[in-house]
Formats: sequence, structure tokens, C-alpha cells
Amino acid sequence: MNLHLLNRSPFSSRIHDDVLNAMGPEDQLLLIEDGVNGALDNAEQHLAGLEGRLFALREDLESRGLLGRCAENVIVVDVDGFVALTEAADKTVSWF
Amino acid sequence: MSDVMTAPLAGDDAGMAAGDLLVMLRHGPHGSSWLREGLEAAMVAAAFGREVGLLFTGDGVMALLEGQQVGPLGQKGSDNLLAALEMYDVERCYVDAAALRARGLTAQDVTLLPVTLLEHDEVVALTTAFSRVLSF
Repeated sequence: MNLHLLNRSPFSSRIHDDVLNAMGPEDQLLLIEDGVNGALDNAEQHLAGLEGRLFALREDLESRGLLGRCAENVIVVDVDGFVALTEAADKTVSWF
Repeated sequence: MSDVMTAPLAGDDAGMAAGDLLVMLRHGPHGSSWLREGLEAAMVAAAFGREVGLLFTGDGVMALLEGQQVGPLGQKGSDNLLAALEMYDVERCYVDAAALRARGLTAQDVTLLPVTLLEHDEVVALTTAFSRVLSF
């Protein structure tokens, strides 16, 4: 199982398409930096089919005022959670 | 299409008032310095007496959401700059309504600045009404 890290907003780039294309059925996706825009309710259309495997970094959500605006299927984790996800994964893949 | 929407915009009151510089803000806070630099450019131009307009479009609309904080790496964000715009007489602030909708946001989410919501035709009119456009 791989952990994918995405730091681009799905509203301003198409990189998330490449990420989804490269993700296995068990792989997890963590949204960081501008990637957390993908946690918005309306972004679900861009990141479909990741139930239970879609995470967003709390610190980046907070700084953007987005913590209370996340879609239900997004699991919010802090930096410690980031580390835990990294530990649990075979490797991480960065998308930027 | 109505006459109002198709009227040529040479600075008369047919539609958008003319201006010197339109600054388009297309990036959200924190991820890059584009947003801050665009706001700073707008304020510099205004300080030199130019008629400045701001258009928040794309991820730039995220700049207008309440509750922003200092970034985890100490990034300043942009909300403090928004608060300074009025002091520099940058009062013509516009938001691309389509960009808001795409993100599931509404006019109620735009709380940091008094703004005018623009639909597609009005965005076109805005870029026509200003003699220069800078994109950030």
C-alpha cells in the first residue's frame, strides 16, 4: 500500500487525474498545502472513489480557513497523523 | 443578449467604469506568494494614483474566506493585506461567481471584503474596461 501526497488544488490543475490513475485499490491519498482545496465539499467530483482513503492535513486546512468546510468523506489528520500514515505505507509518492 | 450586456465599454456608464489597472488574483493563500504579490502590486499602483480593480478568480476566491490563520511554516497568508486595501483606496473588488460556484461556495462565504459578484459577460466587460491587466 502506497501513500500518495498531493499539493496542488484540483481546481487549478489536472494532476489529481494522474494521481487517481496511479493509485491502487488500497492506496491512500493525503492532501497537503494547496491540495487541501480538494477537501472542499464540491471537490468530491474530482477525487471520487476514495472512501476511507482520502485524508487532508489539518494544519493546511486551518491556515486556509477550510477546516469547517470539508466534505464528509475527508479524514482530517494532523502532522502526527501524517507520520502515522507514512509509517503504515510501503512508500510515499509525491505529486506536485 | 440585452443592450446593457453588449454595450461597448469605453469608460462611460454603459457598464463597467473605466480603470487603469485590473489585478487578477488566481491563486489561493499560503501555497505560493502569488496572491500576496498581486495584492501588493495593486496597492503600489493605487498609491501612485491609479484607478485599480481587483478580480478574484480561480483559486483566488479562497482568499476571501473567513478564519484564515498563519500557515504551519509561518506563512503570513493574505487576510492582513485585504484589510489594508481600503486604506489604499482600492475599493473596486470583484469576484468571479463561477469560480465560487465551482468550489461549492456562495456570496455568504465571502466575508473579508465587500465585493461585487460577476458572471461571465461581466468578467469580460471588466477586462475590457481596464486599460491594463496584470495576472497573479
